[in-house]
Amino acid sequence: MFLESIRFILVQNRQGKTRLEKWYSDYGEQERQKLKAEVHRTVASRDQKHQSNFVEFYNHRIIYRRYAGLFFCFCVDTNDNELACLEAIHLFVEVLDSYHGNVCELDLVFNFYMVYAVLDEIILAGEIQETSRSVILSRLDQLSNLE
Amino acid sequence: MFEKSLTDLIQGLRANKRNETAYIQKSLEEIQSEVQSSDTNVKSTAIDKLNYLHMLGYDMNWANFNVVEVMAASRFSEKRSGYLAATQSFHQETDVLMLTTNLIRKDLASANVMEVSVALDGLAQITTLELSMDLFDDVLAVLGHSRPYIRKKALICLYKLVLKYPEGLHAFVPQLKERLDDPDPSVISAAVTVICELAHSNPRNYLPLAPKLYHLLNTLTNNWILIKIVKLFASLASIEPRLAKKIHGPLSQLVCTTTAMSLLYECIHTAIVADVISVPVPIVDSIGREVEFADLCARKLTLLYESPDQNVRYVGLVALSLMQQKRPDLASIHFEPILKYLDDPDQSIRMRALEAISGIVTRKNLSKTVKRLMSQLILSNTIALQPEHSAGSLFDKSSVNSDASSLDTPLLDSNGTTFASARGAIISPRKANSAASDPADNPEYRLAAIEAIVDMCTRNSYSNLANFEWYVATLVDLVYVASVDVGKLLSAKLLDVTVRVRQVREFSIKMGRSLLSDSQLMSQIAADSSQAPIVTTAAYILGEYCMLLPANADDVGFLLPESLPRFSPDQQSTFIQAAMKTYTNWLKDSSEYWNSDIWESVRSVTSTTLSKLSELIYTEDVNVTAAGSNAGGLESAFALLPLQMNSQLRHFIEILKAVSMATSNLSESAPHICQELHSLFTAFELNPVSAAAQGKVPMPDGLDLDSFIGDAIPDTTLTVIPPSPPPHVVRSHRSGSMGQPRRHNSSRNKNDPFYLGSSAKDGGDRNFDDLPDVDDIPVVALDLSHIGSTKLVDNAKKSKKKKSKKDKSRPETHSKRHRRRKAKSPSPSPPIAPVEIAGDEDMIDDSEDGMVIAGQQQQTVSAAEQLAATTSERSIVDNPGGDNIGKNEGHRSA
Repeated sequence: MFLESIRFILVQNRQGKTRLEKWYSDYGEQERQKLKAEVHRTVASRDQKHQSNFVEFYNHRIIYRRYAGLFFCFCVDTNDNELACLEAIHLFVEVLDSYHGNVCELDLVFNFYMVYAVLDEIILAGEIQETSRSVILSRLDQLSNLE
Repeated sequence: MFEKSLTDLIQGLRANKRNETAYIQKSLEEIQSEVQSSDTNVKSTAIDKLNYLHMLGYDMNWANFNVVEVMAASRFSEKRSGYLAATQSFHQETDVLMLTTNLIRKDLASANVMEVSVALDGLAQITTLELSMDLFDDVLAVLGHSRPYIRKKALICLYKLVLKYPEGLHAFVPQLKERLDDPDPSVISAAVTVICELAHSNPRNYLPLAPKLYHLLNTLTNNWILIKIVKLFASLASIEPRLAKKIHGPLSQLVCTTTAMSLLYECIHTAIVADVISVPVPIVDSIGREVEFADLCARKLTLLYESPDQNVRYVGLVALSLMQQKRPDLASIHFEPILKYLDDPDQSIRMRALEAISGIVTRKNLSKTVKRLMSQLILSNTIALQPEHSAGSLFDKSSVNSDASSLDTPLLDSNGTTFASARGAIISPRKANSAASDPADNPEYRLAAIEAIVDMCTRNSYSNLANFEWYVATLVDLVYVASVDVGKLLSAKLLDVTVRVRQVREFSIKMGRSLLSDSQLMSQIAADSSQAPIVTTAAYILGEYCMLLPANADDVGFLLPESLPRFSPDQQSTFIQAAMKTYTNWLKDSSEYWNSDIWESVRSVTSTTLSKLSELIYTEDVNVTAAGSNAGGLESAFALLPLQMNSQLRHFIEILKAVSMATSNLSESAPHICQELHSLFTAFELNPVSAAAQGKVPMPDGLDLDSFIGDAIPDTTLTVIPPSPPPHVVRSHRSGSMGQPRRHNSSRNKNDPFYLGSSAKDGGDRNFDDLPDVDDIPVVALDLSHIGSTKLVDNAKKSKKKKSKKDKSRPETHSKRHRRRKAKSPSPSPPIAPVEIAGDEDMIDDSEDGMVIAGQQQQTVSAAEQLAATTSERSIVDNPGGDNIGKNEGHRSA
């Protein structure tokens, strides 16, 4: 059985409202709802200052980072490089920030399709495909010019 | 009609917080009409809105077809909405997916780069087996696209396609190899990523790529790709150990120079997994000294796990626990620093520290480590009883109120890059709460801690252990503090150490006795409680090795606790067996200084034990009591006991009977039976045998373990209630306590259609005190009946063969005769069947016939005979002809 490196990505706020969800493995609709609730419970209850950003989740691991009121969670296989994944999250947020200019949760709410476009430029089908900020940003400019 | 834009919808949602559901309902209705619109712009906006609502948890599968329509739109922004909606809401079994084949094919061939890109993104996500097969060649063609942006996406998309359609690998792998030479680094990166994923499950196919990857490892500088390549080499080295020597150079160079913790971690990880650390080539470190790579890794590891950053510390511990598995000799120097992480507030860190430390522990520091873990378990145990912090507090008012402002909070602070400060700026109101909860309360952690304790003590055949008594005491302490289900583990370990280490056996017995004599522990125990297995093991040890300590009559009592009926049948039979052994051992000890006091105590212990056992039989099951009231008493109660207990109880009761008979009068010296009984159990010593020992015994010639060695075992689930003995053999003695509940049950069961009881002709309630007393069961009856049943098999076989022919010619003669007799039969009696009907088909399952026929024999049957018959009642019913034995026995006792 082959494995995807990232199983799913969730961005949730502190109340557990989903701001972005991307499923790279085939999860049923009900399973998705269940996972969303469980991820939120797992991650939001953690102590941000004294605990690591990795938490075991079933047979996988959730790598998460909190930015203001938002939790960015990547669910990955246990043999993945956790630190690299954490950097990927930060890259994602950095690109969002550069693109929107001082990004906040409301930007994600109102530009939700752009957020997906940004994510698709960094991660394709569960694999990190581009790690250069400038390349991603120029690609996004190209995209918005098409609209 | 005025249409809402996506922004309108989102604003509307925010404005209507109070009646959000109604607002969404209204919007959904609008969307339903909008998706039918002929204007593609309206349609795609509707899909966008629907997609947004889907994220909030609303179903959008009803619009699947409309999503496909929007995917086919000509304008790019609309097409993109369609693809986004598809990737978000389609599943493997979504039926409209088969409609997308041609439109995706068209987009893949589009001149517009963005359309190709969107199609690749979408396909990679939604592909099914059919789509993968149909579009594989199209995507393969895109791999030659002039833009690296597309080639990169096509590579990853192809990887997703071959996951569904593995036959595509043959065409894909050569192309993939070619892409490693691509002029664009991001395409190389994608190729390495894909190879890394594929090689993870099947490294052998990608071994030929090693030289090329080695070259990349030496030339590339992008840390992301380097991590992937280093990881890839770990997979490849698992099947080609010679690679370790090859990558030693570049890997050690990376470890020396890199500043990226993620790459450093990956390098150390691969160095350990691929055993590069054992390559005996010294390297030159950053300040020009020659060092062993292993030492360098160890030093860098310290850097990782001593890091102030929890995340780096975490991966450092992961690497360390890996290292202790591969090279425990290198890991041992890390003991002291790791010990402190056992008390880390973060459970994940603690778990990793546990994994690491159990291999690092040595003989010197074992007790220190175990003490530390034990104190965690003991101290937190009191806290564990308090209710946990409820998840509901997440939604407490304070955090909801603070939300309004946090929506506008920048995710990154003005510097943009320093994530740590951005994180520190927001203070969660719950922080204080969650810090208070102790990881040692977590059952998962407790389990891991206990497993680690046991693991470090038993590792390498107890090579770390200096004091076995301390270990046994620790195991017993764990029974009390565990509060997680480790009974099986602890009991296996207790048994293992007791059997394998002779010197500790006496101490184990003492500890086992202390467990069994703990009335509080024993009173709250039940079969499914976690302490049950270990208490059972304690009972086993006490029984097996009781002769090592001065015998004690109390042990017999401990081994027949009041809670025994709550244990599982297997466990009960262990207890009974152990009680039997300690009892006989005590008899033997006592008989050495025989006097009237001893005689008294033998009498009293024997009778208490006997009454305990009878209680055990009757409390075993409600049905047992009920059966007893109707008919055969003790024997029918036996019939309902689980098989393994049945024989244990029989043997024990027989022993007790024999002793009570032998000691009925005070004799000069101890009766022989008291001295000799224990030798039944000690004739051969039970030695520990390696699990692999059986394999060393050569298989005897002609041994066929698959063929049956006798007739098929009759179905013992069919329980036959034997009839009561006729009144003239009734014994007067009856204990009221047994009689009362059974009378009650019999009346209750009259109305139970599923109750297999004897009918009114038994005389109903009259019979409950017609039962033979326990004391009347002759010890010898059992053995004879066993012999009988084996003989019967032969008899039945022979006669069956003869019969089958006869029966064909005269099918009716026998059975008719039986039926006539049945009508005449005055009263039922034990099922002793005459020889003449042996093998008759009617008899096999028909217990009533069995009873009736037996009725003729009534006059010659004595009480003893009945008991002998009922003892073997199953075999008699199944193999009629048992009266041979019954008669012999009857004559003899008469």
